[in-house]
Amino acid sequence: MATYEFKLPDIGEGVVEGEVVRWLVKEGDPLKLDQPMVEIMTDKATVEIPAPRAGKVGKRMFAEGQLCPVGKVLITIEIDGDAEAKPAAKPAATTPAGTATARVAATASAAPGLAVRSTAPLSPAARARALGPVLATPATRKLARELGVDLRGIFGTGPASRITSDDVRNHAALARGAGGPAAPPPIAIAREAGDVAVPFRGLRRRIAENLSRSKRSAAHFLYVEEVDCTELVALREKVNAALAKTPHATGVRKVTFLPFIVKATAYALRKFPQLNAALDEAAGEIVQRGHVHMGLATNTEAGLIVPVVRDADKKSVAEISKEIDRLAEATRTNKATREELSGSTFTITSLGQLGGVLAAAIINHPEVAIMGVHKISKKPAVRDGAIVIRDLMNLSISVDHRVVDGFDAARFIAAVKEGLEAPSGLWQEKV
Amino acid sequence: MALDKIRAGMGDVESPSVEVWSDEDEARARGLLQILGPDGKLVGAAPTLEPALLRELHRGMLRARVLDEKMLNLQRQGRIAFYAESRGQEAAVIGAAAALEARDYVVPAHRELGAALYRGLPLAAIVAQLYGNAHDIGRGRQMPVHPSAPRALNFIPPSSCVATQLPHAAGLAWAAKMRKDPVVVLAYLGEGATSAEDFHSGINFAAVYRVPAVFVCENNQWAISTPASRQTASATFAIKALAYGMPGVRVDGNDVLAVHAAVREAADRARSGGGPTLIEAVTYRAGAHSSSDDPHRYRSEADEAGWADKEPLRRFGAHLAATGVLDAAGVAAQRAAIEAEIAAAVEAEESVGPPPLRSLIENVYSKPSAALEEQLADLERVRAGR
Repeated sequence: MATYEFKLPDIGEGVVEGEVVRWLVKEGDPLKLDQPMVEIMTDKATVEIPAPRAGKVGKRMFAEGQLCPVGKVLITIEIDGDAEAKPAAKPAATTPAGTATARVAATASAAPGLAVRSTAPLSPAARARALGPVLATPATRKLARELGVDLRGIFGTGPASRITSDDVRNHAALARGAGGPAAPPPIAIAREAGDVAVPFRGLRRRIAENLSRSKRSAAHFLYVEEVDCTELVALREKVNAALAKTPHATGVRKVTFLPFIVKATAYALRKFPQLNAALDEAAGEIVQRGHVHMGLATNTEAGLIVPVVRDADKKSVAEISKEIDRLAEATRTNKATREELSGSTFTITSLGQLGGVLAAAIINHPEVAIMGVHKISKKPAVRDGAIVIRDLMNLSISVDHRVVDGFDAARFIAAVKEGLEAPSGLWQEKV
Repeated sequence: MALDKIRAGMGDVESPSVEVWSDEDEARARGLLQILGPDGKLVGAAPTLEPALLRELHRGMLRARVLDEKMLNLQRQGRIAFYAESRGQEAAVIGAAAALEARDYVVPAHRELGAALYRGLPLAAIVAQLYGNAHDIGRGRQMPVHPSAPRALNFIPPSSCVATQLPHAAGLAWAAKMRKDPVVVLAYLGEGATSAEDFHSGINFAAVYRVPAVFVCENNQWAISTPASRQTASATFAIKALAYGMPGVRVDGNDVLAVHAAVREAADRARSGGGPTLIEAVTYRAGAHSSSDDPHRYRSEADEAGWADKEPLRRFGAHLAATGVLDAAGVAAQRAAIEAEIAAAVEAEESVGPPPLRSLIENVYSKPSAALEEQLADLERVRAGR
């Protein structure tokens, strides 16, 4: 037994990855040649991949819903004998000159395609010409004999397809393996010293397409408000101290600020359905969503993705916290499914501890709003005529002004602010 | 066709209305010539074709079908870069090619590998072209499914550009007419090509000069994602021929006997100086446009299911079985032989390396220029340094 590693090929003129939609074989299943193994979805099409070898299914390397990069092993096949373990392509050197042509000729004569015709069939002479007349000078023929080259296997480059001595030498060199190029040579392009070229494709390219579509179509309107998080900071400390002693029923032992913000935002979205919406330009309709699926713009090594907390308005802060942790782990280990990474109705973007003062976020197309969460830091504030130190945070929102009025955006942020500034209800509240 | 009357009418202000075509001409361009019904039963005049030719027609169709199945698998397995099937159109392709003589010319569109095979191009040559290896007649320069053939086969290499083959075909036929060669030029096109400029240039020229050409328009209902209904406002594609001053014939393109009969009649007329014909073969592209396409993004499965009953191989097979020409065992034997032939060709061609590097600068100038030689030397140096 030997193991054949099947690497995902470029199945559509320039695709870089494919999503495993459905496995059609199980590990350990017997596998026939050309038997469909798996459905793969690329940017261009969803196709079945047939087995390149017969044998037994070894290991399926990617789960359904996962993205397999082109060139990575998709599945292994256990096959009989070990000579077959490597991919089929052998170097040209192993093919003696002329034998392939002999095979071509044998194949053609084994095929009776020309023999029967109600009209005049090709004459034997035409037939011979079809398989390649040999035109060469005596000197070239002599050279071919010396080099052991069968002239019938050569495409002549001289006048009227005459085989030249160079053709014979090239062919002999090819047969020796000297002329078997594999990959194209690097293309020399003028660059400055220290330049680094990063491929612009795959996820990076999709991010670019989505964001530029959003920027092109949506009329971005930015609104910023300051939120006093002093009570939220205190509440979170109290909650975490309690959780450290007694974990929550969900198993959560520690919460960050994000679940509180998600909760307050989801609650506000129920009051402002015009922000929990998508614009269907083709249908000429604004679609107000029936659910609140909270997208959380997340930075990963591969690029920006948006895991989704489904029905965030129906979950408690602890449940949201647990779901965020689970999605983060699934994302980190590349096990997140397509459903978990798509389908948001509203998106929150946060740079975490970096936070910054303000970011004018780009709306996650086709949604109509995205909320930016910024750094909580201690700053002087005026309360009751006195300067005090408070935990302050900027909250920004980019809305598609075509769909959402500025006043509604401001009222929405005011509602989120209200929830975060009086947070005691958030932790207890479920709905 | 009343071509002389058309010409007489031009500039004749006294009789601005001329008889251009007869009701019979129009009926042929609007109707549907059919010999076999979808169930394989005869509905038209039984053709007088030898049993051996009938079996050969079936084998030619089956060869194209099995080649499609196997080559698409190779593409999905990453062993060739690209493939385009002719699945569903085998009757139109083979029925037309089989109506020619060896001295005639074939100018293909995009889905006529079956015609090349039928005319004698070795299957291994097609496989070599798909791999672009050192055995490829085109030396790996063309995209897969664009095979060159030895000159003796009179099979012109396909061009990816839509409809450019039609002026070529008109020119070939004109040359034959000037040289008084009794040859016919068969040009294939898709219904999408009728919307391209070269359709007008080629068809019009052919009609004006009454050249010996037969244009077979494979109306497979889809020009990539554009349905035939969005391709023309004419009642049929065949009826366009009448305005150009040539006969137009609409034929069931899934009925190999009907296609064969229509093309044979047109070829006979062309050969005897009667000028060109436009034949619309109504068929269906059962597969995707190419291995890079996903038709379910733009057409429904109901659309596909509606055509499955009219599938050409099953229809012809039923007729051959009913008439005792080829039974199920005969079909199975044909398929087994074809599968073995393909397996042998893949085995032989897959391990052949690419053409020599030097081929990059050959076949354009009789002697490559010094600049090209210098570039090749540079390239070889870069490769050696890697």
